[in-house]
Formats: sequence, C-alpha cells, structure tokens
Amino acid sequence: MRCWLLIPFLFCFSLLSAQNKPLLYNVDDLPQSLLLNPGAQIDFIGHIGLPFFSQIHFSAGTSGISLHDIFRNHGTNINTRIKEAMHSMTSYDHFTANEQVEIISLGWQLDKRNYLSTGIYQELDFFSYFPKDLAILVNEGNANYINDVFDFSQAAFTGEILTVYHLGLNHRFDQRLTVGVRGKLYSGIFNAESTGNTGTFTTITTPQGPNKYRHIVDNMDVQVNTSGFASLNEEEDMTVEEGTAELLKRSFFGGNVGVGLDLGLSYLVTEQFVASASVQDIGVMFQREDVESYHYYGSYQTDGLEPLFPELDETGRAIPYWDEFEDEVDRNLIDRTYNEPYITWRPAKFNLAIEYGFGQAFLPCNYLKVNEVRFMNQIGMNLAGVLRPRGFVYAFTTYWDKKLTEKQRFRIAHTFDDYSLANFGLMYSVTFNKFNLYLAANNLLGFRNLAKARSTSVQLGMQMVFKDL
Amino acid sequence: MSLIPGINKVILCLVCCMALTGCVKDIDLDQAEEIGLSPDIDVDLLIYDISEDYFYQSGNNVFQPVIRDTVRLEFLDDDYIQKDLTEVEFYFRHINTFPQRFSHTIKFLSNAGREQILIQYEVAPGSLNNPVETDYTEIIEENRIHLVRNSIQMVIELEAHPNSDEFKGELKFASTGLFKFDF
Repeated sequence: MRCWLLIPFLFCFSLLSAQNKPLLYNVDDLPQSLLLNPGAQIDFIGHIGLPFFSQIHFSAGTSGISLHDIFRNHGTNINTRIKEAMHSMTSYDHFTANEQVEIISLGWQLDKRNYLSTGIYQELDFFSYFPKDLAILVNEGNANYINDVFDFSQAAFTGEILTVYHLGLNHRFDQRLTVGVRGKLYSGIFNAESTGNTGTFTTITTPQGPNKYRHIVDNMDVQVNTSGFASLNEEEDMTVEEGTAELLKRSFFGGNVGVGLDLGLSYLVTEQFVASASVQDIGVMFQREDVESYHYYGSYQTDGLEPLFPELDETGRAIPYWDEFEDEVDRNLIDRTYNEPYITWRPAKFNLAIEYGFGQAFLPCNYLKVNEVRFMNQIGMNLAGVLRPRGFVYAFTTYWDKKLTEKQRFRIAHTFDDYSLANFGLMYSVTFNKFNLYLAANNLLGFRNLAKARSTSVQLGMQMVFKDL
Repeated sequence: MSLIPGINKVILCLVCCMALTGCVKDIDLDQAEEIGLSPDIDVDLLIYDISEDYFYQSGNNVFQPVIRDTVRLEFLDDDYIQKDLTEVEFYFRHINTFPQRFSHTIKFLSNAGREQILIQYEVAPGSLNNPVETDYTEIIEENRIHLVRNSIQMVIELEAHPNSDEFKGELKFASTGLFKFDF
C-alpha cells in the first residue's frame, strides 16, 4: 500500500533534533493540534479551554551535556568536569528552553467547511549555542592556547518572552484537502539577542617580532540587543508588585509588538494515507520600546608598551604610557550603547508529516462529515524543524496513535534529535462527557533521572471539547 | 475489547508517573559553590629596542651609563588582580649586539614609590654579527603575590658597563607576564 511514500522519511533524516510537540501534532480531537497545524483535520465543532490550563507546555534541552555530567556526586572535582565538558562540546551544541501557557483558548464551527479558533498564550523561548572558544578563554585563559584562534562568532543566542494573540481559520476545500491559516499579534515583554557576531582573538608567537607574543583582535563586531531589560535593570527600587505590573502592561501591547502567520494543510493521498504540512510563526517583532543595544567592534593588535627613555618628556613630566595605551585601545576597539529600534524574527517552525491509518472503524471523526470512515490506529512520521540563528534544528518522530474508544486515545512516539537517540514519548487523552484532559511527555526514559536527561518536554491541559455526535 | 479498560489505566498511570514523579538522582547541586574559573593569562608587558644613542644625553652628548624609565601598569590596581590573582610568572628577554654587558634592574613600586619587588640580572655581551640572547624568569608565588597587588609602577633601569670595545650596538628587550587567577 504505497509504502514507498514512507521510505524517504525513514532514510533521509539521520541527523535531526528540535524543540517541538510531536505528541500533539495532528491529534484530531485536541484543539492544540490547530496551533501546530492550522490546516489539521479535526473532529470537533467547538472548544473552550480552561483559562491558563488548556495548555501548559515546558521543554528544555542541552545537546552536549547533562546536569549529571557536571553535578554527579562522585568522581572528579566539579571544575575538572566542567573543563572536560567544555572540551567535549562543540560550538554547534546548544541549550534551549521553551514554555507556553494558554491563557484563553476557544473555537467554534462557522459552517460545515470552516472552523474558527482564537486565543491568547504566553511564551518564553530561549536558545543559545555553546560559545566554546569564549568559554575556554574565560575558564582557562590564553596561556595554553597560544596561536589558537578564539572565535567571537560562536556567541549566538536569542531569548524572548511574549504574549501571543491569535485567530485562525480551518477550511475544508473538499474531502481530500483541508487548509488553515492563523494570524498572530505578538506583544513583547522581553527580548535579548546576539547573532551574526564576527571577529577573533589570537595570541601568536612572534619569533622575529619585538616581543614573545602578539595579541590580535581582528574584525570584532559583537552586538547584544535588548528590549524590556534596561528599565527593569535601572529601577533598583522596583518592588515585585511594580515589576509584575510592568510586565502585565507589556503583555497587553504596552511594550513591543509584532505580527506573524501560521499556515498549514492536510491532504488525503489515499483513504489511508494523510499527508500534512505546516509552518508556524513566520513573524517579525518590532522592538521599539525600552530598547538598549551594546555594540563592540574594531581591530587592534599589540606587542606591549614601549618606554621611550628617558622617562620624562620635554616638559619634565612622566610620560603616561598606560593612559596613551588605553586611549589607543579605546580608539580601535569601540564600545557603544544605542537606544535604536531593531527587528527580530520569530523562530519559525515547520512540520511535515505522513500518517497511515489502519483498523477501520466508524467514528464521527470529522466535524464536516459525520460518521466518516476513519481508523482506530495510525502510524505516522513527523519531521519538525525550528529556525535558529545558524539554521534549522530538526527532529524526526515516528509514532503510533491508537484510539482506544471514542473518548480515549494514546500516542507512543520515538524521536531522533540532538539530545537523545532513545527519546520515547507518550500522550494520553481522555474525555469525560465534554471535558477533555490530556497529558503528554517526551523522553520518558529520561524521567527516571532527569539529571541524566539531555531533554525533557511536558504538555498537559484541560478543556471542553464539543463534538457533533 | 476487554483489554482496553486495562490499557488505558496502564497508560494513564505511566504518563502520570513519568511526568509527575520524574526525579533527579545522583547529583549534588551544592557543588555549585565550588565552581571557579582558573584562567592563566599570558600578556605582553614592555618592549624596547635601543641603540648607543640612548646612552648619550641630548644636547651635550655626554655619555650616561644608566638610563631608566617608568611605566604605570594601571591594571594591577583592578579588582581581579587585587582579589583573584594567585601567581605571576614574569619573563624577560634581551637580545644584545653591544660588545658590552649590561646590568638590568626591574623594580615594581607602589603608588607611593615604595619598592615591592626587585629583579636584577646581567645581560650578556654580544656582537653585531652575533646577537646574544639572555632570558630571565621570575616567579612570584602565592606567598609573595601581595607584592604584585601592592605594585602599580614598573621601573626599568639599564646600566651599561663600557669596556675597551666600541660602544655600539642594539639591545632589544621583551617581557611578558603569565598571570594565574582563581576566581
């Protein structure tokens, strides 16, 4: 049965990782699937989320080390372990954390073809590559790394906290094709980013030079942009209440704003095969309020200070060699602070998936067509990616989705990513009357000892889901 | 279908147990207090390249066997030196083409001009066709590191010892400091 469709997915993606929610993707009786794919096939006609509890999501990951690698309670000294960890990691290893809380979530069927969904959620997203060279320079210094290049471009991170207001439409063209779009308004609470940095620092030996070494800073251009940080940093006397009030104000467009778009589609290739794709957060943030940027740039090299003999100048005063050196450094390695608006792009995400259904059943699975023939079992594959400063970070998930009854289903998934090759996840959803509760967790093996886990992810939520039974 | 009620209980238990009772074992976060940085920073200090002209007073052209200069090393007063410096290894190198030997004196002085560290060594004579290198290393260990912390001026004094050969040549000086920290 057209198993060749599965082959490219199985063999083309061997080096993958990501921060995603494969356990909720294309779960047709959970409204959260519309946040991952606005063109998902759904089988409900309305939903209302329990405020603040319809989706609580948390994920964190480190691709290079675990907490146990550093803090294990036996073996070598912790500083030795940190040093070893730094050397074992690469500048492409990364740290990530993502948190989402749905504040409001609701949706309803407009007609047989259209489903409207809307809501508000708050999101925190942090991502940083490991700046290996700089970490080693700070931790060990340059003495053992003469002639080695320390690369400033390895420093790249993004971090943001924002509130997202969204409105989406799920439209069924025909029995095969469902498409969807979701518009988003972002209200920024905090942003910090440093990407696209350049430059190197090197200490080279100079056998023919005036000194034993020459220190060279070459083409340094490092910038850190922040919004929503300077005012909090400056207000030393700000109370917790005042700080909270300030953050709440920013949540409601009191700070920086942006717009974004999600797109998605699902297509029945055959009765049993469903292909789907989506992109999320094709969006831009205009950071205009409470902006502060720090810029360091320039090139400089030195062999040391050079006394002139005699030590007094023509006026009989001591020559201020150090002051002159500092002035020269300041002229060549420039440090500026700006308050200029800047633009940031949201970390765009994509999902590609194909599902194969089997175990035919007669269930009211699609809100547009009651009593449509569907399947009790689905196996699927999902390739997800999220755009980070140096390109996409991928994850490849295979899953088995099983409907136990009309009210209960589970999904077992295995994900290949940078964090683990044995990332098994489980999702369980149950509906009591119209009250739905779901719980999903990735990397279950890691939960035995989270200190050894390089990633973990949990989603849970509760809501009213209405079906046209 | 009789299996289904059992399965869902197992799944629910499994998800709940895994997600809600995940634990952190075999680690000791108190070790965070022991985390420190121990960089060894190798930096250039002073250089010079002088000829015989430097030993003659400008104006009257009178030979002066001793020349000196003073450089303030303001970074020695910075917090990271004052609190976290544990050891310093000074390295000095001369390359001499003068056929005379020199006495080289390096003094580290406090802001008030009080001598903290005194380093003296002889620079071997060379010749125009045979530059002679003299290296000298002075290690200031933890028991004397306060002397570096008290210092802020570096005085270089060079005394020529004329002999029967013509006083002509070039003397190159290089110096570095290996500063070891424990933050």
